[in-house]
Amino acid sequence: MERDLAKYWPVFVLPTVTAFAIGFLVPFAMGLYLSFCDFTTLSNATFVGLGNYVRAFEDSGGFTHALWYTALFAGVSTVLINLFGLTVALLLVRGFRGTNLFRTVFFMPNLIGGIVLGWLWQVILNYGVLARYGVTLVTSEWYGFWGLMAVMLWQQAGYMMIIYISGLQSIPGDVSEAAAIDGASAWQALRYVKLPMLMPSITICTFLTLTNGFKLFDQNLALTGGMPSNRSQLLALNIYDTFYGRAGWEGAGQAKAVVFCLIVVTIALVQLRLTRTREVQQ
Amino acid sequence: MAATQKRRHAADAALTAVFSMISLAYVFPLAMVLMNSFKRKAYISRAPFALPSGSMFVGLDNYRNGIRLTDFWASMLWSLVITVLSVALILLCTSMCAWYISRVRNRVTHGIYLLCVFSMVVPFQMVMFTLSKVANVLGLNTPWTIPVIYLGFGAGLAVFLFTGYMKACPIAIEESATIDGCSPLRTFFSIVLPILQPTLISTGILQAMWIWNDYLLPYLVLDLKRFKTIPIAVQYLRGGYGSVDMGAMMGMLVLAIAPILLFYFLCQRYIVSGVMAGAVKG
Amino acid sequence: MKKLLAVLSIALLVVGAVTIFSMAEDTAIPQPSASDAPAQTASPSVAGAGSVYYLNFKPEQSQQWQALAKTYTEQTGVPVTVVTAASGTYEDTLRSEMEKADAPTLFQVNGPVGLKTWRDYCLDLRDTALYRNLKSDDFALLEDGQVLGVAYVIETYGLIYNRTLLDRYMALDGAVIQSADQINNFETLKAVAEDIQARREELGVLGAFTSAGMDASSDWRFKTHLANLPVYYEYKADGITSTEAIKGTYLENYKQIWDLYINNATCEPAVIGAKTGEDAASEFALGEAVFYQNGTWAYADCIAEGLTDDDLGMLPIYIGVDGEEQQGLCTGSENFWCINKNAKPENIEATKAFLEWVITSDEGRDALANQMGFVTPFTTFDAGYTAHNALLDAASEDLAVGHTPVSWTFPTMPSEAWKNGVGAALLEYAQGTKEWSAVETAFVDGWASEYAAAKK
Repeated sequence: MERDLAKYWPVFVLPTVTAFAIGFLVPFAMGLYLSFCDFTTLSNATFVGLGNYVRAFEDSGGFTHALWYTALFAGVSTVLINLFGLTVALLLVRGFRGTNLFRTVFFMPNLIGGIVLGWLWQVILNYGVLARYGVTLVTSEWYGFWGLMAVMLWQQAGYMMIIYISGLQSIPGDVSEAAAIDGASAWQALRYVKLPMLMPSITICTFLTLTNGFKLFDQNLALTGGMPSNRSQLLALNIYDTFYGRAGWEGAGQAKAVVFCLIVVTIALVQLRLTRTREVQQ
Repeated sequence: MAATQKRRHAADAALTAVFSMISLAYVFPLAMVLMNSFKRKAYISRAPFALPSGSMFVGLDNYRNGIRLTDFWASMLWSLVITVLSVALILLCTSMCAWYISRVRNRVTHGIYLLCVFSMVVPFQMVMFTLSKVANVLGLNTPWTIPVIYLGFGAGLAVFLFTGYMKACPIAIEESATIDGCSPLRTFFSIVLPILQPTLISTGILQAMWIWNDYLLPYLVLDLKRFKTIPIAVQYLRGGYGSVDMGAMMGMLVLAIAPILLFYFLCQRYIVSGVMAGAVKG
Repeated sequence: MKKLLAVLSIALLVVGAVTIFSMAEDTAIPQPSASDAPAQTASPSVAGAGSVYYLNFKPEQSQQWQALAKTYTEQTGVPVTVVTAASGTYEDTLRSEMEKADAPTLFQVNGPVGLKTWRDYCLDLRDTALYRNLKSDDFALLEDGQVLGVAYVIETYGLIYNRTLLDRYMALDGAVIQSADQINNFETLKAVAEDIQARREELGVLGAFTSAGMDASSDWRFKTHLANLPVYYEYKADGITSTEAIKGTYLENYKQIWDLYINNATCEPAVIGAKTGEDAASEFALGEAVFYQNGTWAYADCIAEGLTDDDLGMLPIYIGVDGEEQQGLCTGSENFWCINKNAKPENIEATKAFLEWVITSDEGRDALANQMGFVTPFTTFDAGYTAHNALLDAASEDLAVGHTPVSWTFPTMPSEAWKNGVGAALLEYAQGTKEWSAVETAFVDGWASEYAAAKK
């Protein structure tokens, strides 16, 4: 069969590969090359070596600030979203009245897009909550930070909850029973039985929340737009602003994008390595 | 035993109560936007929690205004066209591609697979500038042609999910079909595709959620003077030189969210199980 | 699966419904879609003669431009598409649109600084009707003998005030002034504003000034328009028209007026980060504040919200400089039309023809002067085509009494990034999260570094 099929590559593989080349490979390679160039459009690119990378880290660009701000945001949001998602999942699998309804409700915000979410929460937080205390989301970068955190928690906890629930449901019933018969307390059952068996779900969820946190753009744009003084700017928005907001900084913007890409890919690789070793152990 | 039973009942009732509260808090932001969408724009920031009564009530004015300012129905149409076409194209092309590379094993197919996995983690900012250039040169800037870009940029995840599923599928049926003289195309459409159905649904849903809500890609690629999608229309409201018309914004947020919720409640089961399946494979 | 099919068919139905809906909408309101331009069918002879794509800067006039484009298309068959960039995103939009295959044929720059970025795209307009009909070279962007941009609207801004409310204040016992004319320097303005603020309940207002909204889409009123005054006075004192190193001589005055605005407003200074220009406009229109810094372009919004011509007046913005009694309103232009020279030749010709029609035909002149309310620098706009409204009249009266208009210096401000820096510092100063020195740094150091960056 394999040989038969092999001849059919123009039908099976070519469309996807062509589109993949147009939509990803070619732009990626060009982007990599352009990060070493001075350019305003594609046609006038001239090679300048590492200049863009030096410029990318200049103070006025705010890249270093965006870098640690984003790392902090991604880290804290990963912890909070997963804690909340896991707790809710653990409680919901007990199966009390209304479980299905609650699951439906918690997952719902996931379907709403980032721009819409950002605006929705801007109104609620600014007018509904913060105005009472005489502050706004842009009073300092920390209001924006926690505001964004609230948005992400609201949006993503439900998604992680679903993944955890499916993980919990795949734990064989006899394992939990055995633990109960052995006299394990609820906490012990969780710590020594459920959590280890949930490791695959935990890995996936951490990976998803961590990369989502790093790549966040829409919500950031709609909620604070980077105010005040670009200090609530996450990496993705910082790169976008460098590219389209200032004339003559396109090269630095592309260089920032390459650095950004390296960071995200590194995280993914580390994550993959961790998953692999754990799978071997099991 | 009866005592523990009772205790469990009490605990469950308490949990139901607690979760009802949390669910209400979850739905509250949506209710608030709905309420404010009927309020005169000047009062939205002043009295966000007040019911739109008396002089505050403006009926459907905000909706009318917002629709006029953003050309909302057209945006909705284009969002639908883009999402439906892209998802259809992605499902068809990538499932074929995935079948091919999981059945024809050589260095090239393995390379394609690795590139697909790699593309999943690359942030959009890396290719944003060059991709929009390429898309323009090739005329992929209309709702009818932009699906090619989505196929290209979304291929990674789809191919990954499909190959993951196919690896677990028995190859025997396909082989017997080939022996019976079926061409690979026939085998694919009459045997493989039906087997793939659960993954088709879950992949389709994941891609639809992404494409429907995507902001930056269509903003940079689409011919904005003719086509806008819903997120672009909403963000565009931050317009009117020096202002954000919060009334129209509220109305448009409601219109942007309503169809998603409708869709969600109609095919909740598929969406939730799609996410679960996607996560387990991921 | 059945359920899924049901959902899909519902989706299809919705698509159908929305299509019909949007078509119906099309007939009611001119849309920026090329699909409804009857060009191809109307007159095939000119259909191949190119098309116009105008990236408009001014959202207030977006509807009027759409209507005007439609009229032109109906008359000539040449498709004209008008797209309006959302506020504060004109540069981004222009940049991403210029990258596209179907780039704008007509766009605008804000003056010499904007021109630097777009110089390579600007066609020499010397031989066009647009330039031939220009009143003076003051309204053109000239470089190396080339006419790269032509201003199309002259605007005026100042402190718009609610005449009815101010009259009510002056009727109070012990009012600081007896007539609006008496406000002719910063001292008086300050005394009046503070008195109104103190007696706001008696007067039935929330504050003397509208909220100084510093939301990113609205902060141009202060980071650009208000900042114009200290720059203008510095240029005037030094006898220059632009500089690469600003000294900030009049920054104390900038602080004075900013303090006055934020401390005598409808809201606490700490929350202006969440306030928008729209908020200020509705506060002013609802009679909650007496003073509102804005310009002639805000007229339509004021009227739409229920004010009448009799309610509106405009004062110069006094910042406490010696001799400011003779200072007038701020008048100038930061809107220069440019034609994209990289566009297809037939589209360039079509754009030239369109602009000629706009400034010479009855429909075009009527739209610009009477509907959009533009005061234009073109000789073709004679008696029947001079814009009139309470704010424009206030501007011409101000000239008539012999005040010296303050020219617009912001076309010489180094970059958007500079304005953003100043805006962010103003906001943080108001919130109390930074000292005034942050504004000074952004203003003076930022100016130098942005000029240096632009040179690279």
